[in-house]
Amino acid sequence: MAMHVNRRTALLLASASAMSLATPLAAQDVRLRLAFIPQENPEKLLGDIEAITGWLTSEVGVPVEGFVTIDHAAAVEALRNGDADISFMGALPFVLAEAEIGAVPLLSEVYRDAPSYTGRIFVRRDSGIGSLADLRGRNIAFADPISESGYLYPLAEFVKAGLIEGPTAADAFFGRVFFAGGYQQAMQAMAEGLVDAAGASQYADLLLTPRQQAEVTWIVESEPIPSHLVIARPGLDAGLQDRFIDAMLRLNAPENRKKLRYLYGPDGYVRSDSAAYDGVRDMARRYGLLE
Amino acid sequence: MIRNFLGVLLATLASVLVLSGPAAATPAKETPWLPEAGAYRLTLFLGNLEPLPWDDIETAWREPYRGSEFSIGALAWLDRESDIDAAQLLNAITHEDRQAVFAEATRLIALRIEEELNRAVAAEDPAHAQQAVRTARELYRAFADGIATAEPDVARQIGLAWLELNSSTGSAGVLGAGVTSADRDTMAAARRVISGYIAENYLIADFAPRQTLSALPETAILSGRAIEVPPSLPPGSDIFDQDPLPRLVLNFEEQGIDETDLPLVAYGDMLFDSAQIFGSPARDLGLACSTCHNRSDVNQRLFIPGASHQPGAIDVDGAFFNPIFNDRRSDPLDIPSLRGLRFTGPYGRDGRFASLRDFTRNVVVNEFGGAEPTPFMMDALVAYMLEFDFLPNSMLTPDGQLTESAPEAAQRGEAIFNTPFAGLGDRSCASCHMPDANFLDRQAHDIGSVAPAYEGARAGALDTPTLLGTAYTAPYFHDGSLPTLAAVVDWFDETKTLGLTEAERTDLTAYLQTVGAADEPYEAFDAENTAFGLAFAELTTFASTIDTLLPRRDVRHILLLTDTVAADLSADASTMSNLAARPDVYALAEKLAEVGTAVRDGDWAAAEASWSAFQTEADTIEARAF
Repeated sequence: MAMHVNRRTALLLASASAMSLATPLAAQDVRLRLAFIPQENPEKLLGDIEAITGWLTSEVGVPVEGFVTIDHAAAVEALRNGDADISFMGALPFVLAEAEIGAVPLLSEVYRDAPSYTGRIFVRRDSGIGSLADLRGRNIAFADPISESGYLYPLAEFVKAGLIEGPTAADAFFGRVFFAGGYQQAMQAMAEGLVDAAGASQYADLLLTPRQQAEVTWIVESEPIPSHLVIARPGLDAGLQDRFIDAMLRLNAPENRKKLRYLYGPDGYVRSDSAAYDGVRDMARRYGLLE
Repeated sequence: MIRNFLGVLLATLASVLVLSGPAAATPAKETPWLPEAGAYRLTLFLGNLEPLPWDDIETAWREPYRGSEFSIGALAWLDRESDIDAAQLLNAITHEDRQAVFAEATRLIALRIEEELNRAVAAEDPAHAQQAVRTARELYRAFADGIATAEPDVARQIGLAWLELNSSTGSAGVLGAGVTSADRDTMAAARRVISGYIAENYLIADFAPRQTLSALPETAILSGRAIEVPPSLPPGSDIFDQDPLPRLVLNFEEQGIDETDLPLVAYGDMLFDSAQIFGSPARDLGLACSTCHNRSDVNQRLFIPGASHQPGAIDVDGAFFNPIFNDRRSDPLDIPSLRGLRFTGPYGRDGRFASLRDFTRNVVVNEFGGAEPTPFMMDALVAYMLEFDFLPNSMLTPDGQLTESAPEAAQRGEAIFNTPFAGLGDRSCASCHMPDANFLDRQAHDIGSVAPAYEGARAGALDTPTLLGTAYTAPYFHDGSLPTLAAVVDWFDETKTLGLTEAERTDLTAYLQTVGAADEPYEAFDAENTAFGLAFAELTTFASTIDTLLPRRDVRHILLLTDTVAADLSADASTMSNLAARPDVYALAEKLAEVGTAVRDGDWAAAEASWSAFQTEADTIEARAF
């Protein structure tokens, strides 16, 4: 093989190619560059991006390009340096990006009629665990240390219950704290009995098999977490921004709803209410992530 | 967070396990397989078929499995993602050396796990390390059920090692916030647990000969213990219900008779949805009559690699379901509709069974390896299936003539349908598809649609199929070789030299589409009238037969019912849109399971108390059962 191209380099090449096309043309053409965060299968995301950007191009009236970044940090970096105009983003990374580079919230995802969701602490029904206090000295799996519903919000319930003093004191309360790498991994670890509890999104039990779903329950639910968003870099042309928002809101129309599966599969979008993210800003401060 | 947008959750009602598990007839959508892991699982599955489909095994590595999220096959994927050479594997496939294929494919997956683990520990940042860990773990999934079955304690240790490994990769944080560095020592220790086991069991030079290909670890094989890995379907399988769901037309129901007042029919309805009447693997995979015959019709999406040549087709006498009934011929059949079953005998594509009862027993016992059904079970199944009616079609009179509401083209086509042709032996289409006899003649004819199995074979006669409802059962012919009704018309025109003009073919097609149409072919669902609501009503109706069985102290049939319905009710709850009511449905399912437990214990008073509680709770939940 003359050149070893693996998934990572392929992604970077896709990204670089989008940027190398976009950057020189940006000076002469108006276009929108969208940054996407990979899910489990980056290759599928590339196909989805092609489908949705094609539709957005016709709806917005300017060429819309998409590229995949390795993570949220890279997407925010792309917004900062102008390689991306718009990005899909979790609530926590958004409030950090807002503070760091002045990112602007445009749209929030809607699930089951609400632009918010919750985090829960799940346990096996036969575990005998009925309260947060029962988890003292027990092992727990969270999704990821910067996950809102898969760590920050569920852990805050332990603070609220007076069981731990603050986020940094979690290790003293639990036997072990694992970060499993995602909701599904955390839930599986709990369902299989590797750990006693899992902290994950309120919908995370749907990732288990039907039999496992019947075997698990939850013991506490966090306060509502504003849903994931679509954000823009500061200084993006206001007219272009509005046209993009209008196009995205047209995805709510019955004839366009199928296209939502190209975009992480929400039930729809609403215009973002920045104030709705105050709770996330407070949470980020409590965890020392935001000044 | 990064990978776990809420959308991922809702879009992927998924299991990380292989497609196996409870005998409930509610399949769980699988997490997609990585290309090489998917090819490996397909290899294990296909490698156990007899005769072994070597072409399919090669295809498994060269092309993406059916429904894969990856656009390229495993070999191309490996070329792009890995430095591992698949030449030895291809060589083994070329030489049709089953043991060598198993060995090479197993080592390849093991090497890929090691390759990704090497990348994880060498990664300079948490994001790349976690990506490599995730990939390694997805590859490990190809072995996971074998390890869990053979050595559950080891599986648990390795499960914890994966948790340790991922946790110790650190966190990239966001924009400098929340950054934690990797714990290299812990990573190395966790990796040693995983790699040590892989090296000992899957990365070895000489594997012991395998009677059955599976992901069981080598040490378990060498131990000589009898270990049975729960059956699973390979990547690319699809046993989900058709969407949209066909409408079920039951004769008694249309007359306003409640199924709960027909306990024999209701019990037969339950058996039709029960995987328990089959043997393994069908039973363990949750396959029931209704899996193929959705709501008395067909399941156009059903596909099992090695047993299906295309969606909606299945070879029920192949190697997979009941080896003793394996006819060693690859002859999958397009799944036939059971609508109007009492009018469509004899049964089987070639009409080989005059009796529906005999045909049904053959399906249960021979095709799917079930235990001999009791006379009561047979009576119930037949009683239920005899209620299947054709779909109402307002464009047809009861004697099969078109009504005025039929399109003009169909009216013209009706005349062609009734015209004798020399190519049809001076008969018309209507000679066999008799309009006043539900468009069939209950006879078998050789129309030349079956390729002779051997020289001089006279084995091509097939039972005339009805044309009613056929607008929704594509493809056509016994092997599903014709994709549309227009293709069927073309086939007859060409092979029987009918000499139809293009306009006549169009009109005849319009006629077939009109005859095959229905006023309401599919179930209509909305926010509260959901598929789960339908399932809930069905399952509680099934359970109503306990009213008949409990006084008779009919242990066997009560347990068959409670085992089926309690598991299905619990599994179906995972499809509810009213998530808040799920715990109530789980509790209801437990009540029914308690009836079964009490009957097993011979405690009839407790059984009656649990049954009474079930009925009360079912009534209170009904309004929220969506």
